[in-house]
Amino acid sequence: MSKTIEQLRQEYGTREKILTIEDLVVKFSLRGEELTAIRQASLDVYKGESLCIVGESGSGKSVLTKSFMGMLDNNGWIDSGSVLYKEEDLAAYRFERQWMQIRGKEIAMIFQDPMTSLNPLRSVGSQIKEAVELHQDLRGEAAREAVYEILENVGIADPVRRYRQYPFEFSGGMRQRVVIAIAMACKPQILVCDEPTTALDVTIQAQILQLLDKLQKMYDLTVIYITHDLGVVAHVADRVAVMYAGDIIEVGLSEEVFYNPQHPYTMNLLSSLPQLGEKGKDLYAIKGTPPNLFKEIHGDAFAPRNSLALKVDFVHRPPYFTVSPTHKAKTWLLDPRAPKVELPSAIKQLRSKWGDDIVAGS
Amino acid sequence: MLKYCTKRFLQSLVTLFIVVTVVFVLMRFMPIEGFLGPRYDKMDPGQRDAILKAMGLLDPIHIQLKNFYIQLLHGDLGESIIYRPHVPIVEILGPKIPYSLFLGWASMTLSLFFGLSLGVFMARFKSGFLDKLGTVYIVIINAVPSAVYYLFLQLYGKNLLKLPMLFDADRPISWILPIISMALGGIAGNAMWMRRYMVDELNKDYIRLARAKGMRKSAVMFKHVMRNAIIPMVQGIPASILLVMVGSLYIESLYSIPGMGGLLIQAIQRQDTPLVQALVLIFSAFSIFGLFVGDLLMAMLDPRIKLGSKEGSR
Repeated sequence: MSKTIEQLRQEYGTREKILTIEDLVVKFSLRGEELTAIRQASLDVYKGESLCIVGESGSGKSVLTKSFMGMLDNNGWIDSGSVLYKEEDLAAYRFERQWMQIRGKEIAMIFQDPMTSLNPLRSVGSQIKEAVELHQDLRGEAAREAVYEILENVGIADPVRRYRQYPFEFSGGMRQRVVIAIAMACKPQILVCDEPTTALDVTIQAQILQLLDKLQKMYDLTVIYITHDLGVVAHVADRVAVMYAGDIIEVGLSEEVFYNPQHPYTMNLLSSLPQLGEKGKDLYAIKGTPPNLFKEIHGDAFAPRNSLALKVDFVHRPPYFTVSPTHKAKTWLLDPRAPKVELPSAIKQLRSKWGDDIVAGS
Repeated sequence: MLKYCTKRFLQSLVTLFIVVTVVFVLMRFMPIEGFLGPRYDKMDPGQRDAILKAMGLLDPIHIQLKNFYIQLLHGDLGESIIYRPHVPIVEILGPKIPYSLFLGWASMTLSLFFGLSLGVFMARFKSGFLDKLGTVYIVIINAVPSAVYYLFLQLYGKNLLKLPMLFDADRPISWILPIISMALGGIAGNAMWMRRYMVDELNKDYIRLARAKGMRKSAVMFKHVMRNAIIPMVQGIPASILLVMVGSLYIESLYSIPGMGGLLIQAIQRQDTPLVQALVLIFSAFSIFGLFVGDLLMAMLDPRIKLGSKEGSR
C-alpha cells in the first residue's frame, strides 16, 4: 500500500477541495483592546484527507476551526477574508439560523476533554439521540435503533444497556467514543478533532486514533486534527499545516513537512523533538515567547526568535513560496536571492533521509 | 428507590425524636419559678409543690418524658400554662396555622415562579439589560432592610392602588400586599441562585459540544442548562416550607394578621413550656420533612446519586 511522494502529489492534484480559507482575519476585543488572533491565514482542505494543524498554544489553531463553525466567543468576529464551503462564504454568515445549516450537519467537532464534554445528568443514549433527531430526521424507536448502531460502530459493546447509562458510568476512553458517536450521528462532511487524545493515556490514544481512522474510511470523512502532539501528527496526518501567531506558515504533505521543513519555525519545532535529540546534550528549546497579538506585527512573526532571520524578515512579511505542488512555506529563505544559511544539525539529519524515494506511511 | 425512601424516612423520624427530646429535657433545666408565672411570689412552698406535682413536674425526668410521648401519641399537645393558661395548645394554634400557612404558600409560589423565571432570563440574556435590571433589584432587596420596603409597599399600595392597609380574612383584595411583601425577598434569592447555577452550567464544556452538534441555542438552554441548574434549586425548595410555617413576625404585625409570627419567641420568653414543646415539635417536623422531600427529589433527578449503597459516605 506504500506510495512514493510523487504518487501522493499526483493524487492530491486530482482531489476535490472541500473547504477553502482565504486571507482570513479573526479579531477579538479584550479589555477594550483589539487582538488579532488569525492574521490573513489561507488554507485549502481536500475531501477525504486527514489534515493536522499544529502549533503552540495560542497560535490560533482552535480559533481557526471555530471561525468556520460559528462558534467564536461573543467577543470575537471575522474581520475580513473568506471561508468557502460548497460555494457558500461562511465568513459572511451573521445569524444563528445560517450556522444551523452548517454546525453538526456539515461540520462536526469533538473536543479535548471527554470527561467534561458530556452532560453528566442525561443518559448517554439521549445525548446521541439528540444529534440523530437533528440531522437524520429519525424519531422515537427508529432514532433509538440508529443510536445503537452508532454505538456499535464506535466500539461500544452492549449498546442497549449502554444507551441508558450516564456518563459517570463510562471511563475516559469510552466517553471519548461517545463524543465521537455524537459527532458521527450528525453525519458530517468534515470532522474537526480539537486535541482528541490529549486528555487520554497513551494506550487509549492509539485506540481512539484507530477508531477515527476507521470511521473516516467508513463515511468518507474529511478530518481536521488540531494538536501539538507531533507523535499524533506522524501517526494520522496526510497533510500538515503549521501555525504560528495566527498564520499558517508552512503546509505540505506530512512527509514533506517532517523530512524537508522549510520555515525556520517548523525546523525549530522539529529540532525540539526528543527523538532527534543527542544523548548527553540538552534538549533543544525555542527561545523567547510568541509575539503579542495586540500589536501589529511587521515582517515575519517568527523573526525575533529566529537565529536564521534575515534583515528582510523584520520588514516585509514573506509570501508563500512553492516548494512542490503540495508544499509551500512563508519564509524569505526560499527566495532565490536569499543567502545560504547553516541549518540546525537535527534538520540536516532529517533532510539526509529525504528524497523522492522516501516511502509514505513508513 | 423504596428502600432508600424507607431508610431516609426512618432517619427523619429518629432526628425528630432527638430534637424533641433534647428540647424537652432542656426545658426541664429551667428555673422552677418560671412554671408558676406571676403567682410565684404569693404562694407558700406547700402550694408550689402541690401545683408542680399536679403538673407532673416533680416526677423523675424519664417518667415525664414517657408521659409526654404517651400524650403525644394520643394527639394531645398539652395545655398552655402562661400564654393562655389552661387552654389546650391545639386550640391556640388551630386558628393561627391556616393564616400563616396560606400566606406562606402563596408567597412561596409567587417567589418560586417569578424568582426562577427572572433567574432564567437573566442567565439567558447575561449582561444584557434585563440582567442588569435584575441585579439592581437583587442588590436593593438584599441591601435595604426589609422593614423599609415593607412600609413603602404598604404606604404606596394604599395611596396609589387603593389597596386595603390591613388584613381581612374575608376580603381577598387585602391579601395582596402582605403576600407580595413576603415574596419580594424570595424572588430576589431564587433569581440570584438560579442565574448563578445557570451561568455555571453555561460555561461548561458539554454546552460547547451540544452547540457543536447543531442544537439551537434555545434548545440547549432548555434541555441542558435549565435542567441541570434546577437540581440544586429543587433540593432547597421543600426545606423552605419551614419559613412558610413560622410566619413572618414583621409582616403579620404590620398588617395585623392573626398568624403564628413570633409565637415561638413569646412562648420561650414567658417560659410556657408545653407551648414551646408543641411549636418545636411542629416546626422541626416540617423542616425535617422538607429536607426529606428535598433529598428524595434530588435522588430522583440526579442519576449520579446512588441510592442506598453509598448513604454512609455522604
